[in-house]
This record gives sequence, structure tokens and C-alpha cells, in this order.
Amino acid sequence: MDEERRLMAQVARGDEAAFTDLVGRYGGKLLGVARRLLGSRADAEDAVQRALLQCYLGAGTYRAEWAVSTWLYRILTNVCVDELRRRRTRSGELDPPARPEAPGEHLDLRRALGRVPTEARVLLALRYVDGLSYGELARIRGISINTVKSQLQRGKSLLRTALTKGGAA
Amino acid sequence: MKTDHVDEILKRYFQPDADQSDLARRVLQAARESARDARRLLDTIAINATTRGVSLIRAERLDKPATAAARRLAEQAREELGEYFEGKRAFFSVPVDLSATPDFQKKVLAAASRIPFGEVRPYAWVAQRIGHPRAVRAVGTALGRNPVPFIVPCHRVLQTGGGLGGYLFGTDVKSRLLSLERHTPVFEGCTSTRIVCRVGCVHGRHMRPDRRVVFASVADARSIGYRPCKVCRPQAA
Repeated sequence: MDEERRLMAQVARGDEAAFTDLVGRYGGKLLGVARRLLGSRADAEDAVQRALLQCYLGAGTYRAEWAVSTWLYRILTNVCVDELRRRRTRSGELDPPARPEAPGEHLDLRRALGRVPTEARVLLALRYVDGLSYGELARIRGISINTVKSQLQRGKSLLRTALTKGGAA
Repeated sequence: MKTDHVDEILKRYFQPDADQSDLARRVLQAARESARDARRLLDTIAINATTRGVSLIRAERLDKPATAAARRLAEQAREELGEYFEGKRAFFSVPVDLSATPDFQKKVLAAASRIPFGEVRPYAWVAQRIGHPRAVRAVGTALGRNPVPFIVPCHRVLQTGGGLGGYLFGTDVKSRLLSLERHTPVFEGCTSTRIVCRVGCVHGRHMRPDRRVVFASVADARSIGYRPCKVCRPQAA
């Protein structure tokens, strides 16, 4: 972890090689979270690119008390949540468009996830893409550990109901 | 939490994607371009104000504000516009002075002002809204003469088919503003105060960057224990 903090210090000094190293370490995971939250790969890539841009331009504001991953996930979820807001105002609903090529189980899950409130959905994505602890999830969204637990519980409970009904139709 | 089959399905679904080799290169390229854009746009703008509010924003040289109070409003407008161009503001609090504007144009500008941040409407929508559904062309003319562009968001009005239509500062700027608004968040919370504000609120301007959390709605923020700001009243946005 110290190595990553050193890397961030280099990025803050404008070291492009250090930034490329950082992207190499986290690009895939960030893309995974964004893709699961936003649905389409194009939107996810756009979100990750914007998050990494904020990370690069704001590297000077990074504080070493944060784990680098926590800081990156905070920035990424901020970008993704705003994209979800835009979709809601645009279409009056939050569900990402279903991809016809998705396997059955995933398609059901995508539909079911569309019914989970935004905050719980963000926590589920972070928890299951990178196995983040409750403490890390709490820091990323600025909430208490108890709120994290109750949101995850609620999200899973909504999913369970939707999936046992044979899809979320 | 107990582990069950829902956990297994979620684990498989959320497996990380493969990395993208040129992601860093694209981000570094965007970083070089983004800082230049905001500054350049602000430098092209001249602002005049009266004691009541901002009265004129144009690309050419303008008279200086006549009084100290008017000068302060013009400075406030420049500061807010700078934040807006940098993607750090989703609303304007500086007042505008449209007292010299004809009534029809005032109605058109009032309708345009009601288009939410980041959204667009056709010229025909504005015409409908002011009760003159056939006056689409006149609406276009009134918007084209908007004395306070950016603050009264005439750039959010497009042709019915989605074409950009015209713009006082050129369609290139119009397109950049629409893109800017697509990428600027509207609601942000502070993790230490647990208050949710509109982006650009005076509270948010002093927030430490690592305490900033973006929300999709005020209801979402409330659902995890944040309360709306009493200054910018985000629930009314």
C-alpha cells in the first residue's frame, strides 16, 4: 500500500509513467464497477476515463490517510452516480438498457438490479467487484458501517425477491 | 451477512473486466486539452451589470459597470461562469437585470430558464410554454438576442430534430456547453457535515475534495442519512 501512496505522490508531480502504472493496476477493476453500474461498455469506458482524468488533475488533493483504491473508487462512483441521475431525468427510469447478448442468469440479474435503489446498487457493485470491506464501502460513500450493512441487506433482499419470482419482469 | 446463492450470482456477475492498454494515454491527452478550454472561453467574455443584476454578456468589449455594487455583481458573474466552465457549478446565484428586455423576449427567457441543468428542449417547446405555439421562429430570434447567455441557458434549446440551431457564441461553443453540462454533477454531499447541496453552493466551494460525494437525487442522499442544504435548497432543483 505504501508503494501505491508513493505512486500517487509521483502522479501529483505530473509523472505520467506513474499514472500509467496506476491505471494498469486499477483500470480493469474500475471498468468492472462502471460497467456493472452503467450497463453499456461505452458508457463505462467514458465514466472511467472521466474518473481517471479527475484523479490525474486532482492528484495534489489526495491525502495519504486514504487507501489509493478507496480514493479511486470514490471518484469513480461519483461519476457513475451522476450518470445514473442523468439517465433518470432523461427517461424517467433508472434501469440500464438490457443487452440481448447477456446470458440468461445475468440478464435476470441486470433487470433485478435495475430495481435496486442507486445507493444500494453502488455498494453491491463495489462489494462484489473488488470484495471491499464494510469499512471501505463506508468511506467511499461517506456513510456509517451500519448504513452500509442495512443498504446491502436491503439490496440483496430486493434481488432475492425479484430472482425467486423468476426474473424481474 | 449470510452467504447464499445470491452471493454466488453477484460474484460471477461482477467479475472485473480485462484492462485497457491505452486508457492512460487517452486520459493524459484529455488532461492536456481540458484545462485550456475553460480558461479560453472565460477570456473571450465581457460582462456588464447594473445594481440590480447582470445586464449583458457578450464576446465584444462592453462599457464598464457604472457603480461599485454593479462591478461586484459583474465580478461575481465572472467567478461563477469560471466555475461553471470548469464543471464545478450547476446553477447561478448572481441576479440578472432584464428590465430593458421587451416583454415577449422576457417570457421566452423565463421559459428557457426553466430547462433543468444538463437537459435540452426544442424551440417549439419554448413556444408552447409561453402560449404562442406558432411563434417558433420568433422564439429563435428572442433567444439569439439573449442579453445574458450562459446564465439564462438559451444553449439548452435545440431544433426539433436535435440539430443545434444557432448560438450567439457559435455552435461550437453551444455544443461544448451541452457536453460540459452532461459531465457536471448536480448534487453533492459533504461526508463530514452530511449535508447535500447543489454543485456550486457556497458550502460546497469550501469542501475538502476528499469529503465530496455525488448523489443521483436528494431522495437518495436522504436514504443514507444526508440532509438537504438550507441555503441552496437542492430539493427545489
